[in-house]
Amino acid sequence: MRIGIDVGGTHTDAVLLDGRDVAASTKALTTADVLTGITNALDTVIADAGVPQTDIEAVMIGTTQFTNAVVERRELSQVAAVRVGLPSGTGLPPMVDWPDDIADALGRHSYMVKGGSLYDGWPLAAMDDGQIDAAIADIAAKGLKNVAVSAVFSPMNAAPERAVAEKIRAAIPDARITCSYTMGRLGLMERENAALLNASLLAFADRVVDAFMEAIRVRGLTCPMYVSQNDGTLMNVDFVRQFPALTFSSGPTNSLRGACRLTGLTDAIVVDIGGTTSDIGVLEGGFPRESNVVISVGGVRTNFRMPDIMAVGLGGGSLVSADGSVIGPRSVGHRLVTESKVFGGDTLTATDLIVAAGHADIGDKSKLLNLNPVTVTTGNSTIHQMLDDAIDMMKPNADPVPVILVGGGAVLVSGDLKAASALHRPENAGVANAIGAAIAQIGGESERLVSYSTLPRDEAIKKVTDEATSRALEAGADAATIRVADIEETAIPYMDEGNTRVRVKVIGDIAALNAKETV
Amino acid sequence: MQVRAEDIADLSLGAVFLATGGGGDPHVPELICREALETFGPVELLASDDLRDDAHIVTIGGVGAPTVSLEMLPSVDDAARTLEAYEKHIGRKVDAVVSFEIGGANSLIPIVAAAGRGVPVVDGDGMGRALPEAQMMTYAISGVCPSPAVAYDYAGNITTFTTPDTPTYERHIRSLAMASGGMITTAEHPMTGAELKPAIIPGTVSFSITLGRVLRENRGRADQLLPVLRDTFASSVYGECRLLYCGKVSDKATRIIGGYDIGEATLTPFADEGDALTINIKNEFLVARLAGRVVATVPDLIVIVDYETGAPINAERLRYGQRVAVFAVGCPDFFRTERSLAAVAPSAFGFDIPYVPLEQIDT
Repeated sequence: MRIGIDVGGTHTDAVLLDGRDVAASTKALTTADVLTGITNALDTVIADAGVPQTDIEAVMIGTTQFTNAVVERRELSQVAAVRVGLPSGTGLPPMVDWPDDIADALGRHSYMVKGGSLYDGWPLAAMDDGQIDAAIADIAAKGLKNVAVSAVFSPMNAAPERAVAEKIRAAIPDARITCSYTMGRLGLMERENAALLNASLLAFADRVVDAFMEAIRVRGLTCPMYVSQNDGTLMNVDFVRQFPALTFSSGPTNSLRGACRLTGLTDAIVVDIGGTTSDIGVLEGGFPRESNVVISVGGVRTNFRMPDIMAVGLGGGSLVSADGSVIGPRSVGHRLVTESKVFGGDTLTATDLIVAAGHADIGDKSKLLNLNPVTVTTGNSTIHQMLDDAIDMMKPNADPVPVILVGGGAVLVSGDLKAASALHRPENAGVANAIGAAIAQIGGESERLVSYSTLPRDEAIKKVTDEATSRALEAGADAATIRVADIEETAIPYMDEGNTRVRVKVIGDIAALNAKETV
Repeated sequence: MQVRAEDIADLSLGAVFLATGGGGDPHVPELICREALETFGPVELLASDDLRDDAHIVTIGGVGAPTVSLEMLPSVDDAARTLEAYEKHIGRKVDAVVSFEIGGANSLIPIVAAAGRGVPVVDGDGMGRALPEAQMMTYAISGVCPSPAVAYDYAGNITTFTTPDTPTYERHIRSLAMASGGMITTAEHPMTGAELKPAIIPGTVSFSITLGRVLRENRGRADQLLPVLRDTFASSVYGECRLLYCGKVSDKATRIIGGYDIGEATLTPFADEGDALTINIKNEFLVARLAGRVVATVPDLIVIVDYETGAPINAERLRYGQRVAVFAVGCPDFFRTERSLAAVAPSAFGFDIPYVPLEQIDT
């Protein structure tokens, strides 16, 4: 049995899964200290399921704490940014386009040194040991312990970043270093930004992981703990301590993965309707479709692999215009239970519309007797029109596609959606995200620049797949269940024919768990 | 008139509109341009008519693969160093610099060079929009010799050219750009004031700032934007502005062929009933057909904007499901001559259709 916990900005959800069955679930408000909410959730699902602690084989946690730390500029450490790329980019130092408040939070410690590569591997400039040593001496003198290292074209040649990281480690043994090539794709500024945000979260990651482990220990659980990352796979605790930024966007990912498990559909549109927004994502082969554009996290441009999510300003608390033709994006949010008409307040919300139309039984319907029936009819059709338009924008093509409704606001959809070939409202849809966390698997990824002219395509892909597989095994995946989740081949422009960047992602079940479940 | 740091966001937005789907991501060029203007102060914008006939003007901009600059960033002083190298090569100071094309990053590079070297920028450019090849520039069409020309790369390597015609120059500069990491800055196609005046699309820098401001201040639904845009284009070198279509993207397929993003997009009405609009793409939006009937072609401008906000969308960002509006704008008169059309009519892009000016096509 395993427990999945999803810590959101508003709610902390948890489920206890017995094989494929939901044995217990809970939804409670997220507490200011986060931890009390988690321990309460653990207590509730263990008590409700009536199982001994020893039956719990793993706890999986999805958390928005790291995203929120960046957005709210809290808990961020000062970071030294070292970029290997001069003479290119002179005058455009790291953090040049960041909002002032977050650049200040990281301390604006920028260092630029010579080196890096051109697109074809030709050295951009010879590295200058004296220049690098001077930068490191300054970092040491300032007492900075967190460092982000970036280099031009490092996804294709990581050697310059590695060389600088080694020098830093030799001079400052307790330095914690994030190299940009481990974080993102091509696009120097965005990849460097991802590394900087990650490095600034390292100290906070230690505190969060320690607290999670303590919560689990106090509850008498001795099982391993995992944290979900943005691609729908799990990180063990050592990995989270190194790459906390990989948790960004894990909430929507878990919700999509949970919807997949609840319905058995691997290709579908998932609409997660909350109090303020409807988050629309796409399941492709059981995993979220990834966004291919620059994504801003707290005002900082990054190129993480994140799920492609469209947020529409429509939720249970969304404000409704007097004639029902305009809904949202403003919302009463969690004040729905005091401010909406159905709860005796003065504000007309989307929830009031569906109660008045008889589609849901929430609050006191008698408070809505004065509501104009035309407003109710118009408002309900506005809700469906907004979702139809948004779903249509997210569809990969004009073919019909099933739609899965999850989240507390799913009751807003009372009729058919034209954009959907079929509508699914699975049981336990309110805790889809916690289920998504609980069922996550272990992933392994490898990326290489290969030449199909010297190594045939089949052999090249097999070689990269083997590397990804051995990484997944190292991380604790069950060899028998490992399968290829994604192969990405990118021809490198302006290079000799056949030069291709190959990235392979494999996924497998947790070995420790499979061994027990099959017994 | 001056160009100030605070004008750059509007200039860039206007330039993305005029880029008709091409031009790339303006984020880094905008950063550099603002940085240069904040460091050196505003740049003087000179009307082409005010140039002395014997003034020496050089065009300046970037050549190569813009996607490379997302990884190997340009330097803030590349443009000024290029101009400095050019002046050293020809043994005199220039009187002003001017842009290759107003659409995209090359609208900003001359301003960066001018700020760094303390010279004015001519208000105008060599395309009035974005076009994929150097021989489509008004300067080349007018017979301006591409050299003397100087190229300056990321490491400060300087190459000079003595080349008689633009196609040869284009071939050489493109291979040099590849050897220099994919992108290079050049000063080329020098002109006297007398040569420049008939060869330029005038007023496009100040117009781009105005257009960007209009788009920003009237952010909203495309049909409500139309009257404002009509008024804006009415007092410009451009012709009539039409709203061709509102609908959603029901198909888009492009692929890279010979370095160009080539393909087609299909738009259908919001209500699913009515005629479809198809648009041919080669980096830029080139031909629009409504139910098979041609309703606008290059060199007239075809622009796709987000239906709700009026924000222009470039071709690589266009994708299935987007709700968009399509505007068409008559090109400057320069392109309507036989000599110009030989370089920029649909046939120059491989389309077997004649050019009919936008205002002569029935709506």
